[in-house]
Amino acid sequence: MSDRIFALACLAVCVVVLLQMWQLSVPFAYEPVGPKAFPVLLSLLMALCCLYLLVRPDRDISWPPVGQVIRGAALVGLLLLYARTFDLLGFPLATVGMVFAMSLLFGGRWWAGLISSLLIGLAGYFLFDRVLEVSLPLGRLWS
Amino acid sequence: MDNFSSLGQGFLVALLPLNLALATLGCFAGTVLGLLPGLGPINGVAILLPLAFAMHLPPESALILLAAVYMGCEYGGRISAILLNVPGDAGAVMTTVDGHPMARQGQAGVALSISAVSSFVGALMATMGITLFAPLLSSWALSFGPAEYFALMVFAIATLGGMLGGKPIKALLGCFMGLMLAMVGIDSGTGVYRLTFGSLHLSDGVQFIVVVIGLFAISEMLVMLEHTQAGHAAVKVSGRLLFNAREFSQSAFTMVRSALLGFGIGVLPGAGATVASAIAYTTEKRISDKAKTFGRGDVRGVAAPEAANNASACGSFIPMLTLGVPGSGTTAVMLGALTLYNITPGPLLLETKPEIVWGLIASLFIANVLLVIMNIPLIGVFTRMLSIPNSVLVPLIATVSFIGVYGIHSSSFDLTLMIILGVVGYVLRKLDFPTGPIILGFVLAELMEQNLRRALSISDGDPAILFGSPLAVSLWVMAAMVLILPLVWRWSKKAGRSRKTRIGA
Repeated sequence: MSDRIFALACLAVCVVVLLQMWQLSVPFAYEPVGPKAFPVLLSLLMALCCLYLLVRPDRDISWPPVGQVIRGAALVGLLLLYARTFDLLGFPLATVGMVFAMSLLFGGRWWAGLISSLLIGLAGYFLFDRVLEVSLPLGRLWS
Repeated sequence: MDNFSSLGQGFLVALLPLNLALATLGCFAGTVLGLLPGLGPINGVAILLPLAFAMHLPPESALILLAAVYMGCEYGGRISAILLNVPGDAGAVMTTVDGHPMARQGQAGVALSISAVSSFVGALMATMGITLFAPLLSSWALSFGPAEYFALMVFAIATLGGMLGGKPIKALLGCFMGLMLAMVGIDSGTGVYRLTFGSLHLSDGVQFIVVVIGLFAISEMLVMLEHTQAGHAAVKVSGRLLFNAREFSQSAFTMVRSALLGFGIGVLPGAGATVASAIAYTTEKRISDKAKTFGRGDVRGVAAPEAANNASACGSFIPMLTLGVPGSGTTAVMLGALTLYNITPGPLLLETKPEIVWGLIASLFIANVLLVIMNIPLIGVFTRMLSIPNSVLVPLIATVSFIGVYGIHSSSFDLTLMIILGVVGYVLRKLDFPTGPIILGFVLAELMEQNLRRALSISDGDPAILFGSPLAVSLWVMAAMVLILPLVWRWSKKAGRSRKTRIGA
């Protein structure tokens, strides 16, 4: 079942690609192939694979229970929040928050999470920004 | 002779203090990443690549670091295979079969040291193989025209589909998805925007690093979240730490045989360490399992897969360095690293950037010596790493991944896109899609399309040029064979089985 749903979604992507390529207008063409042919060829090949999966899907996959899915969603939410706050609050602050929350999500003790979050956030900033010269943001909000 | 003087030049590059330090760091980090279950070479290389780039390392140094990480992971995977019965990376799956029984019989030290030496022998033989064959192959590949190149890439994709066992359709589909993802952005031939849906952020295309980190770091974190409760019980290393002369002489031939086999498999574009170690183990079992000791803790059962997976990892550098077509998922990531530095991979690489190719080969020799030194006396340090809890490890991976991706373009759009790709990657992995083909497709896409278009411009649109030379035709035939033969083989096995049941009934 999972395979069939995926195959349908993938077919939809193929259709979108084909439509996009249909609408694409190429002002100048110096060569016989142009930019449309390869993506069209790919989407046809993909569609062929999807049709095969529709007809002969693999045995069904056991998805994780609801509790796991919620934790997974929490992890994704946390990552998205981290991505948002990364340059807004600055690397040190955003990282301390993210590491602490994620360590709790992965079943760590709160004090252990606190220690590792402070360590990763502050030592990480000095190591990468100061020593290794990878420029990290200090926060748009404060400057 | 010429090869050896070039190799000497390579050693001059690899022995520079910066490169030597990076190789040591990479070996250590690689072993740790390799022994942690879940994280393998492809994750290690993926996480460190953006950092190397953001740190403005020169290309040869970045490649040396990544190669050391790759080698280190192949060494590290065996530690958790032996002590936990959990392969640290996919190449170490077969090492659990005899390695863990040995550990439970109190021979953990013997299993660890013999596997370290096997890894060394495998990698050393394969690196010598690279030194001998890489220049040959690359001078041969200089005669490739665009049509031959296109056929070669089709062959690489086909081997990946045919070799990845039970899921050829999913491997192929994954590869096509990777190719398609690379179509997003401005077309270099005509300057039109393809599949950007009007988004300004997508006009430059999807960044390679974003795809790599999304697929191999973010999705891995989601997988690790499922296993937080499962604790690992490691076998304590006690007793003899080193193998004795009898154990060594028993497995010496095994190592050499498996190394040759692994090297051969590694050189094939597409087939990687997992396939090599599985084939080496079953071959060795067929040849030398006279007393039926395989599977119950036979040293040769540990030596064979380890020699093979390291040999194949090294061997997979050959197609990457000489043809510009990666031999494994991990070398696909490294090939992408070259393109990040605006270096076009291919047969010309050896002539235009000898310091990169020979520096890399020399550093493989150095990395292996460092690794065997680290892995026998310092094994205690690494076994202690097995107890790092995920609650520390995963946030650390997240931080390092974000630093790497942000460090390159300072764009938070990239960070968000990376998370989305990570979720997609997780779903794909749940659906049993292998992730290696996706990245292979993504890396090959531009060259593949360019060569197709160039070939057809030469012939003014006549597709016959794609089959115009004997070389191109033989590549197409080989591609068709690797796709069809496994199907025929499986079908004939099934037919044989059903005939048997019919006779039985």
